[in-house]
Amino acid sequence: MLSRQKLFWLSRPYDLAGTERAFLRAVRDNCAYHIRHCPAYRTLAEGEGFSPEQVRAVEDLKRIPAIPTLYFKRHAIFSMPRWRRCFEVTSSGTSGSFSRIRFDWGCVLAEAPMVIRLGLLHGLASPVPAHYVVLGYRPDRKNTTGVTRTMWGLTWFAPPLSRHFVLERREGVYVPDLEGAVRALEKLSRSPFPVRLIGFPSYLWFGLTKMKEMGVSLKLPARSRIILAGGWKQHYQEEVEKPRLYSLVKKVLGIPEDHINELFGAVEHPIFYNTCRNHRFHVPAYARILIRDPRTLEPLPMGETGIINLISPLMCATPTVSVMTDDLGVLEPGASCGCGIASPVLNIIGRVGLAGVTTCAAGAAQLLGEEEGL
Amino acid sequence: MILRNGTLCPDSRLPGILSSLEEELGKTLSGPPLEAETVIAALETLGKRLERGELDALIARYVPAGLLEQLDGIRWMLRRESMEYKLRVELGEDDGRRPFGGTLRRPLGVLLHIAPGNMAGLPVFTVVEGLLTGNLCLLKLPHGEKGLSLALLSLLTETEPRLAPWIYAFDIPSQDTASLSALAALADGIVTWGGDGAISAVRALAPPGCRLVEWGHRLSFCYWSGWEEEDRERDALARHIAQTEGLLCSSCQVIYLDTEEDREAEDFCRSFVPALERAVARRCRTAGQMAQASLYARETWLEHLTDRADRKETLFRGQGCTVTLRPDPELELSPLHGNVLVKCLPRRDLLRVLRRQKGRLQTAGLICSPEKRARLTELLAKAGVTRITRPGHMSEAFSGEAHDGEYPLRRYCRMVDVER
Repeated sequence: MLSRQKLFWLSRPYDLAGTERAFLRAVRDNCAYHIRHCPAYRTLAEGEGFSPEQVRAVEDLKRIPAIPTLYFKRHAIFSMPRWRRCFEVTSSGTSGSFSRIRFDWGCVLAEAPMVIRLGLLHGLASPVPAHYVVLGYRPDRKNTTGVTRTMWGLTWFAPPLSRHFVLERREGVYVPDLEGAVRALEKLSRSPFPVRLIGFPSYLWFGLTKMKEMGVSLKLPARSRIILAGGWKQHYQEEVEKPRLYSLVKKVLGIPEDHINELFGAVEHPIFYNTCRNHRFHVPAYARILIRDPRTLEPLPMGETGIINLISPLMCATPTVSVMTDDLGVLEPGASCGCGIASPVLNIIGRVGLAGVTTCAAGAAQLLGEEEGL
Repeated sequence: MILRNGTLCPDSRLPGILSSLEEELGKTLSGPPLEAETVIAALETLGKRLERGELDALIARYVPAGLLEQLDGIRWMLRRESMEYKLRVELGEDDGRRPFGGTLRRPLGVLLHIAPGNMAGLPVFTVVEGLLTGNLCLLKLPHGEKGLSLALLSLLTETEPRLAPWIYAFDIPSQDTASLSALAALADGIVTWGGDGAISAVRALAPPGCRLVEWGHRLSFCYWSGWEEEDRERDALARHIAQTEGLLCSSCQVIYLDTEEDREAEDFCRSFVPALERAVARRCRTAGQMAQASLYARETWLEHLTDRADRKETLFRGQGCTVTLRPDPELELSPLHGNVLVKCLPRRDLLRVLRRQKGRLQTAGLICSPEKRARLTELLAKAGVTRITRPGHMSEAFSGEAHDGEYPLRRYCRMVDVER
């Protein structure tokens, strides 16, 4: 799978035009690999009349069988046996069920240059040691969620002096300890080293709102950063506009807007999306994004809203080459952003259908992945 | 939170409340009985406030927007006439005179309601049924309940303080079997709503001699025989499938065709797809809802390819929906969300096949010519179905209807024979 390593090692991070051939090549190879090694994927490809040779141009990416994340939640399908995996993670399972995604060693090898390049480009990587406060889970053996791993990984972009986790496992359940985090931040604000706050945006918002109510106003050391990952998840309805969050961050923690990084990704599509200086996500060279019509699922032209379809040849152990997310989004030309990055901007607009599921049809709760009990 | 005697108190007081509960219940039960009229009057007042929109803000705090409309459809239940009618239909107008003396109808006593979390308002509804028959109601709030039931029940006790000692609500997690057993030990009957898992758990909890009233999950279907006003009925059925997304006990999971001809069944599927497409498009008002429908339809298609390759089924794809023709006649859950199953089931096999799901059958939407209707109704009733409706009305609530084949209010009462 050399074409994949070439794409990830040799590409300039946002050069879509220059990487087109390498990308298509890697995608073809990746599809062919899954067709050879994953019976379910082979059946899907046959059922949709797809073969890798059909991917000649970017326009042909729509032909790759696009698999909804729901499919991964209901089916554990892999293209590599367990013994060949590097590790396995699960999605956070906001709705009660979760995907199981197996990572191969080649995938990890390919991710390394992507993460380093983008980390440097977006100011995440720094030689200055830092204290970390993670508004997320403390990793342990029982926690296999992708977001926990990601947050742990993010604590290495600057040499870690200390790590404080807000969600600690006590007697088997995670308990948030916001007050502990506030105390930690107060202590760290007197440290000569920068502080890096990593976490779910919802936790940051709740935490900062509470701190503001408590009258907390800190000035964290210069070069302190906020790194947001994991999305709003179950707190989607409380999602706030970004400028309100930024001004709150400035007010409570004294961190300026340009020291806030946001990340986007999914366990099914672990590409390292970073916000540019205008807080927008540009499509990196390691992925392509299609926006599909909510009604017909056909690709839409730039500027129109639809289902986000993420495409990347990163993974060999799981056939996630083309994944249809539960998110609605819209692509805009890169030039419209003004940050200097030319690749298109992805705006994530929201989750599809948020209404609560109500069921009393026999057997439906199990199918929908809801817990059954009293 | 715990609701006790009209006041809300924190969960931490549960042990104290449980220890004195037997005495408290005894005091209430030995006092004057709870008259149906007290309950009806309070609900009527509440219903009027609801109709004037005074409670919209409160409900909107706890319920997603789409559900508010669903609640609209059942507001009539709070009207005095509906409640009086329900009491009359379910309990009858028996004067109780018997040759040996007389029979008194009395409340069962204390009912423990284990309410489901899948439908807003249902926990309150089940308590109201208990109160209408004069029972003292203990409610175990569903997991994930965001406070609607507590708010509504508090409102009810504010409206009519005499109701306060008759309503208790507890936010006890299902794992806390010790507390649940303590409640069960005080109950004359346990009313359970939920799937097989919940019902088995309650059976294990209930002391012998305690009356179990189980409102389990059900399956419903449409039976299509002959071609009376075909287009209109087809559209109505499609709307029902799109609207309920297959999620209700009364939602059509399978459309049975009274035929053995595969060709006829395929023609039906082909004609049904556009109707279903239109209905789904009408239900999906936002891009997000449409996207969700399309994703579910795609999921159904992919599962058809990978999971059922050997089953010889045929899938017909539409925008945001699918119709799957399966070769076997069994009644089963559809892939839901606008994805429905079609199967051939000739009349002569109907009873035999449906009997295999006895105890799970609920509504049959029946489409047939008028001259066949009586005979087919009889056949479906024999097979164990408990509601037979027009296909478009499968999930509508009718005033005076039974619930899963029973009159609930009767189950919440007991008869006391008294010799002269």
